[in-house]
Amino acid sequence: MSSDSRGWRVALVPEALINPPERLRASLPDALNVLEASGYGVLQLPPPGPHDLLMAVIADQVEEYAHHGYAVAAIGLRGEPGSGLHWRRLAPLLRHRSVSLPPRHIVRPDADAAGETQRLTAFLAGYDLPSEEQRRWRL
Amino acid sequence: MEHNAPRKVALIANCLLNQNAKVCEGANYRGLVSPVIEALRSRGYLLLQLPCPELAFAGVRRWWAVYEQYDTPVYRAHCRRLAQAIAPLVESHLRAGAEVVLIGLDGSPSTGVRFTSSKPDWGGRPNRPLDDWDIVPGRGIWIEELEAELARRGLPALPATGWALDMGRFDEAGARRDLEQFLDGHDSPGGSSGTGAERS
Repeated sequence: MSSDSRGWRVALVPEALINPPERLRASLPDALNVLEASGYGVLQLPPPGPHDLLMAVIADQVEEYAHHGYAVAAIGLRGEPGSGLHWRRLAPLLRHRSVSLPPRHIVRPDADAAGETQRLTAFLAGYDLPSEEQRRWRL
Repeated sequence: MEHNAPRKVALIANCLLNQNAKVCEGANYRGLVSPVIEALRSRGYLLLQLPCPELAFAGVRRWWAVYEQYDTPVYRAHCRRLAQAIAPLVESHLRAGAEVVLIGLDGSPSTGVRFTSSKPDWGGRPNRPLDDWDIVPGRGIWIEELEAELARRGLPALPATGWALDMGRFDEAGARRDLEQFLDGHDSPGGSSGTGAERS
């Protein structure tokens, strides 16, 4: 796969971090910029509400990644229901698919945005699969 | 959901936010396709990511394929399920008065908007890198089923174009100009052909 540029890391990202509401924009890290710079792909979670079919569809995608050598992380947002990750819905969907729950990093909207950007960057940089798992899958 | 002033929403192919969804050897970026995301965000578009139909159906280790290979009843049913999953969000934006545009992936058998890939006689053992296919005008299977689901809900056709990543020879600067022309020029809701299509 030498001509392929994929980063092998995927982040679950809440609606509110992808499309921040006006009132939060100044106090949040620019999550998409950080994810882009960190080489992560994004799976967008829907806004609060019952999105049962969409959540099942998202869980199917996470399962496919998690079982084939991709690192999957979750970025939550404090103050959002379920941290914006629909965690109460998502966690059982993933367990049902024999997927270990992804590590979660929670962004704090009431903290310093620059500091939160650094924390998010450090989390993303520090997370990946163990090297033997990477060697097994990432040819 | 918050619905204040009329908003602009871009319904975008899954792989424009996540190149890990691409078929093997098809990823041109690590994660986000930044030229597309920048072009949309700088114009005030909210992003709404489509699911990737191929990833969940044929897996991350799938071979590449053409339109005719995915044109099966079961794949279409799978695409309809995904369309039903995402359509409520599209509908709520439209009903709230938002302008919604669709950005697919031209040349893709599933997500092509202006162009898809075709080779009616493909089948059997893959023969890379010698396999070749044609780029032909038309929607991919997923976009066909998505648009059909939106129409079933009585929603208007979305202005649509495709990022020309799967057209054979990828020209990022040309693709970006093409996308920006579309974003800056489509002021007729329902127009769907885009402008400046380039064959490669």
